[in-house]
Amino acid sequence: MNTKTTATLVAGALAAAVSMAAATMTAHAADQEKCYGVSLAGQNDCAAGAHSCQGQSTMDYDPASFKLVPAGTCLSMKDGKPSLEPMNG
Amino acid sequence: MIGRNQSAVISQRVFPASRHEGRAGAGLKPEHLPAILEQANAVGFFEVHAENYMGAGGPPHAALTRIRNDYPVTLHGICMSIGGPDALDRDHLARFRTLVERYEPALVSEHLAWSTHDNVFFNDLLPLPYTERTLARVADHIDEVQEAIARPLLLENPSTYLQFEQSTMSETDFIREIARRTGCGLLLDVNNVFVSSTNQHGSPMDYLMDFPLDHVGEIHLAGHASREDDEGEILLIDSHDRPVADPVWDLYDIVIRQCGPVPTLIEWDSELPQWPVLKAEADAAQAILDRHADNYLLGARHAVHA
Amino acid sequence: MPSMHEADYAEGFAANLLQAGQGKPDFVVGPNGKGADTRFGVYRNNVSVGLINALTGMFPATRRIVGEEFFRAMARHYIRSHPPTSRLLVEYGRDLAAFISGFEPLAEMKWLADVAAIERAWLDAYHAADAAPLAMESLTAIAEDKLADTRFVPHPAARLVRSHHAAVTIFSANRLEREVGAIDVGTAEDALIARPHLEVSVRTLPTGGAKFLQSLFDGHPLGVAAETALAECPAFDLGANIAGMIEAGAFAGIRQ
Repeated sequence: MNTKTTATLVAGALAAAVSMAAATMTAHAADQEKCYGVSLAGQNDCAAGAHSCQGQSTMDYDPASFKLVPAGTCLSMKDGKPSLEPMNG
Repeated sequence: MIGRNQSAVISQRVFPASRHEGRAGAGLKPEHLPAILEQANAVGFFEVHAENYMGAGGPPHAALTRIRNDYPVTLHGICMSIGGPDALDRDHLARFRTLVERYEPALVSEHLAWSTHDNVFFNDLLPLPYTERTLARVADHIDEVQEAIARPLLLENPSTYLQFEQSTMSETDFIREIARRTGCGLLLDVNNVFVSSTNQHGSPMDYLMDFPLDHVGEIHLAGHASREDDEGEILLIDSHDRPVADPVWDLYDIVIRQCGPVPTLIEWDSELPQWPVLKAEADAAQAILDRHADNYLLGARHAVHA
Repeated sequence: MPSMHEADYAEGFAANLLQAGQGKPDFVVGPNGKGADTRFGVYRNNVSVGLINALTGMFPATRRIVGEEFFRAMARHYIRSHPPTSRLLVEYGRDLAAFISGFEPLAEMKWLADVAAIERAWLDAYHAADAAPLAMESLTAIAEDKLADTRFVPHPAARLVRSHHAAVTIFSANRLEREVGAIDVGTAEDALIARPHLEVSVRTLPTGGAKFLQSLFDGHPLGVAAETALAECPAFDLGANIAGMIEAGAFAGIRQ
């Protein structure tokens, strides 16, 4: 692609971007496929990584032969690939 | 009193002048922010852990700036590792200093403990033996911090769970000598006094009688949990996850009667209650401060320490 | 009394704090000659629980996916092999995604490392420096013949995470604590994490979008970034991507 073609492409794209941005402003239902679809906004987990100076009243048990088998929401995601069957401990 | 000297310092203030003296405050938790903002003068002041505001920007700074416009804020450092054998971390000290300059805290404190060694951060307040050698090292570290922030630091007595064979002096002797050598103030954590004294089979009253109370610029109160040691006897944990225990309130009353209305913080760091529960703890401390304020005005404090 | 080298107390403590087992330094004791195993164990427990709790707070979606018990067991392995070196907990967990990739019990969940990477980027965005996002007006003010040569200043909070899996969908479904339905984990998704003001947003990029943004983040001009994206993905829509990057707040200014 030569410089001139690129310049023309970019200028045209900016004009399109401006009209898309305007459309987003007026109707919030912009095309989520084409635009940058918001998957998650907010949900501030403000305590993440917070420091404090207390001792821990809960005990961390360290079982010597803990069988590591994931057992969360992963089990409901097995429709896709790869398979998410729980490991055989 | 440390706080009193500080208020005499003339500086260009960005925030309104602090009115923290004689007040009870609470640890600031982002979870409580909406409830706090609905009230006026919810408590006397808020304390924040310095390390939680060492990020560059974002919601933490926005929230603290909002709070600082309405309240005095006290800054409580956790990770300076003043009690460790390693040199202080220059970057950390610089971040700490930046926070002091940015938020003009009414009081600045750190712990008699260490948390980093050999480039590993353990995220806990670890203990040190009390010897001439550690005394000299801690004093050097406090000098360095006070020089960096250009104001006095309050040093907090720790909760301890064991002893060192190497120790040659008591914790109170160690702390008194640190205050004498460095001119630092002290943060008296009354719950820590109760927890450590119980764990070390000592009497909290003996500890307080040995403690240089005239250097105390702030008091901490918190709840503790109970466990058992090797012999099945009580071992208390400084857990900050419940209300202040009755015997700690009793000790606090004695301390305030002796010291006058020293700014007092309620610490509650996990199993957080709804804001009104934490505020009620601060109100209870405020009632004790107010009850003894008259005696203080009559000069009881000066009579005791004359 | 045993003689003590200056650093022995910290050395002796540190050596026993994070290791499995019940060792304690021999110079710690209880009062009146009591034992100190449980007493030293309080510190060991404080360190483990404190660091594991920090990770559970920083990686809530990852934790929900594998379950609380599994996550804590994995985190215990992680804090022992990768203890924090920064005093700031918000800096911790940068190599958790890589750790997950090599963690044998998770070998079949190829996408989990990418979910963890998005969570780590989320925390970076949350604490990043504040900056006003680039406005569309700043772009339209540029002369047409200069547009292709324009370079941008990345917003301090903006982060890209590329995935061969449906990492963004899995992340947001689990971060929100809502019912997780069937997800086709094989769909490749790239994430743009941004925080133009106070709220962090995670967006799924259209095809070619990540290549385009990475090129701009690397300091290449708009024309070059567009060509790079088109070369990888002929369906790349430059106009939509310019509108998207502005709306997301991925940039803070124009490089002079």
